[in-house]
Amino acid sequence: MHRLLLALLLFPVTLLAQEPIGVALERRLAEQLRLDVGDSLTVAREVDGVGRTARVEAIYEPRADPATIMRQDYRIRLHLPDAAELLGTPDRVDRIGLAVMPGVDPRVAAEQLERTAFGYDLIPTAEVAAESSTTFLVVSRFHRAIAIISILASAIFLLCLMLLKIEARKLDVAMLRFTGISRRTVAAALILEATVIASVGSVVGAVLAAGASAVVNWHYRRLFDTTLLFSLLSVETVLWAVGLSLLLGIATGAIAAWRLVRQSPLALWGRAG
Amino acid sequence: MTWSWAWRDLFRHRGRTLLALLGVGVSAALLLDMMMLSGGIERSFERLLLSRGYQLRVSPSGTLPFDTEATVGDVTALVSGLRADPEVEDAGAILGLAVQAKSAAGTAVSLVGYGVQPEAQGIYVLESGRDITPGDSNGVVLGLPAATQLGASVGDTLRFFGRLDPQTAAPGAERSLVVRGVVRFLYDARDQPSVALTLDVARWLAGPAFRDRASVLMVRVAEGPAPATVAARLQREWPAVGISSVDDLVVQFRLRLTYFRQLSLILGAIALVVTVLLVGTLLTITVHERLPEIATLRALGVARRTILLQVLAQGAVLTVGGGMLGLVLGLITARWLDTILTAFPGLPASVSFFVAAPRPLALAALTLALTGLLAGLWPAWQAARAPIAHTLRQEAT
Repeated sequence: MHRLLLALLLFPVTLLAQEPIGVALERRLAEQLRLDVGDSLTVAREVDGVGRTARVEAIYEPRADPATIMRQDYRIRLHLPDAAELLGTPDRVDRIGLAVMPGVDPRVAAEQLERTAFGYDLIPTAEVAAESSTTFLVVSRFHRAIAIISILASAIFLLCLMLLKIEARKLDVAMLRFTGISRRTVAAALILEATVIASVGSVVGAVLAAGASAVVNWHYRRLFDTTLLFSLLSVETVLWAVGLSLLLGIATGAIAAWRLVRQSPLALWGRAG
Repeated sequence: MTWSWAWRDLFRHRGRTLLALLGVGVSAALLLDMMMLSGGIERSFERLLLSRGYQLRVSPSGTLPFDTEATVGDVTALVSGLRADPEVEDAGAILGLAVQAKSAAGTAVSLVGYGVQPEAQGIYVLESGRDITPGDSNGVVLGLPAATQLGASVGDTLRFFGRLDPQTAAPGAERSLVVRGVVRFLYDARDQPSVALTLDVARWLAGPAFRDRASVLMVRVAEGPAPATVAARLQREWPAVGISSVDDLVVQFRLRLTYFRQLSLILGAIALVVTVLLVGTLLTITVHERLPEIATLRALGVARRTILLQVLAQGAVLTVGGGMLGLVLGLITARWLDTILTAFPGLPASVSFFVAAPRPLALAALTLALTGLLAGLWPAWQAARAPIAHTLRQEAT
């Protein structure tokens, strides 16, 4: 794919005696070059190439694009004939965007047009998007892998904490058992306690996640000078995380409670044997 | 006595100890992975850039090598000037271009072409056959993916096309070239079909617009001067082009990978917090459970320092044991995560994100050890300060 690449020069180069062309600069580039609407600059295809004088007609904020965020390329917009002339490829373009009529399947339209228009590739936008999103799929897979490790670590951490917490209640449980309260009731009470802890922990976790998400977005938006959203804490994510931590909390609480209630009250009291 | 007490106590609660070791192990694995990720790709990229001994790159001003389609002009004079420089050992130009070739089955295959000066190229290593030589106007070397796609082997003659018209599919230039050898391209993405031919042949295929132009130049600095110093001096002499040392390129690369460095920092910090909480909680509860025993020991005359060391030793055993488990887990998960990340489109196949260099490994071990010590401090302090009489009285009742 041929990308429109234009080297911007601030020093005089060989100029063609032509009227200045109008260009629009993205805000970051205008700030970098300290240019404003009405200012002049020289635009050339190569650093050592023949340039054209251009006048800044507009300064714009490009639509935030995650695909180019790491590259931090600067963008400039030219009228199509001016760009083609600069590149030495008059009456040529890289691609043409087509909007099909309402109700027409873009894939079917592409197939039909490909049969009649020799020398072109017609690709539905959805396919282009799928092709160009490979990078994000890789990042997404990486995030998922990290999430699996984190969940594993959290599960072990939670299990350990619950075991310790419930084991620390040995004497209380022994007392309850001595007073005639059944194993089932004691286990239910311990599981209920684990549920309450897991619920409170989940809420605290969700609040922490919201705070962390806000900090991440604030930091990366500043770092990359963009309006992109880097961390998205959706309702689904919160529900999923809360559900998982509740499940883990209750399960680990149940395991710990079972370990405790199967022992005799005397053993719990530390007087067995 | 200190260590045996720690061992005995950990063995007394096997399930709890095993879980704690597992928890510390997973946290340590995450920490190790993040340490490897934080600088791994930079080290890997640096190794790749220096693999053929060329320490400098010359590219169009304001661009990185092969980052855009811009090219450098007046290459003959530039290469001659660089080769004549007393601090430069060698210099060679490379032109990247799109070429097509007919496969053995008669189908057209799109290829990435590199026009090189064979006497000074640093982008491939010969695998079989022989290399193209300066002035070889009929030779080509193929990367393995290109050879596979073309169904070609050493000695075959292939038809190459340049400047293919996208509308009519008619080539602007056509030439038969003999496959001299099969090579491995160092900077290619996985399965990228590439070929290398002499710079003159490449320019002829690319067309008159590329006469005396190149995408990038690779420069090998002579023994002695620092490459960065030579780069700075050459930049002053040749201001129309961009001259970067490998260090400069690594800095640029690092900027593009800010996300991964920061992510590794955050996740590494979380892993450390989890380790502190886990070891700290476990030791605190253990100390509370053993307060009567500790009080008895203190009543018998065991010094506070000994109790303190016993609890710290227990923390150390958990941290070291978990750390060793984490080392194994970390190396396994690093390989898994590396497989995921190296699938990035366009990334050189020989680049790794997770590099097990001694420094990050040692740093991870040291950080983990300090974390374990930190986690044990509070419970150890509590154990050492346990009120003897009060605890014993409570135990008696």
